Amino acid sequence: MARIKVHELRGKNKAELQGQLKDLKAELSLLRVAKVTGGAPNKLSKIKVVRTSIARVLTVISQKQKSALREAYKKKKLLPLDLRPKKTRAIRRRLTKHQLSLKTEREKKHEKYFPLRKYAVKV
Amino acid sequence: MAPPRAVTATKPKKKADGKTQALKVAKAVKSGSIKRKSKKIRTSVTFHRPKTLKKAREPKYPRVSAPGRNKLDQYQILKYPLTTESAMKKIEDNNTLVFIVDLKADKKMIKAAVKKMYEIQAKKVNTLIRPDGKKKAYVKLTPDYDALDVANKIGII
Repeated sequence: MARIKVHELRGKNKAELQGQLKDLKAELSLLRVAKVTGGAPNKLSKIKVVRTSIARVLTVISQKQKSALREAYKKKKLLPLDLRPKKTRAIRRRLTKHQLSLKTEREKKHEKYFPLRKYAVKV
Repeated sequence: MAPPRAVTATKPKKKADGKTQALKVAKAVKSGSIKRKSKKIRTSVTFHRPKTLKKAREPKYPRVSAPGRNKLDQYQILKYPLTTESAMKKIEDNNTLVFIVDLKADKKMIKAAVKKMYEIQAKKVNTLIRPDGKKKAYVKLTPDYDALDVANKIGII
């Protein structure tokens, strides 16, 4: 079997990817049987190849699913927790940029009437 | 705390004129249109927590965006068949196949997995956990399936 290329996988749709996944898993089970019954070395070396291909297909499937979900939730206000930015727990609990920038009316007026002046000393 | 004797409230007026309000209430009392709330009679000495409304959940957003895939499918359950001498004996004499299965699989799952993978019907499944930590499953087939044929088809012989 030709080496699975990821950019080819990304073109496929969900049903095709699931079908390919099934084929790969069936092949892996055959190879595992061959391992137990003392199979040929070319079969045994293929196990690693098939396992990594399965991993690639699963990665592409989950990436597609995630991006589709993000598209679906683009307009909405509240996101599911795994679509929100992860960062760190402490960072998530900090004040947002907007919240930090808020000033009282009093403060705004003060800044307006008493701005920071720059002076130059005449030589 | 609301007074025990509840009087039905007068309609809210823009200008709460005390005198007119008082007159209105007096009129209502005289006419008998104000109903006195009856005192609840208690037939038991114990006070039980009153049952209140329990609303079902209506989440504004799902906590997990998509449910995870089933990681214990038939390919994961049946790892490989055993080909030891005693396993071969089981195939010939007792019409059973011996598999190494995933530790998290139970007998029902093993039965279903075997049906899906090899299109055979299992009569019963016996499991044990080997000393090396793997689970072994003895899958006895129904009489209309021959274990020897199935073994040939799988590739163990």
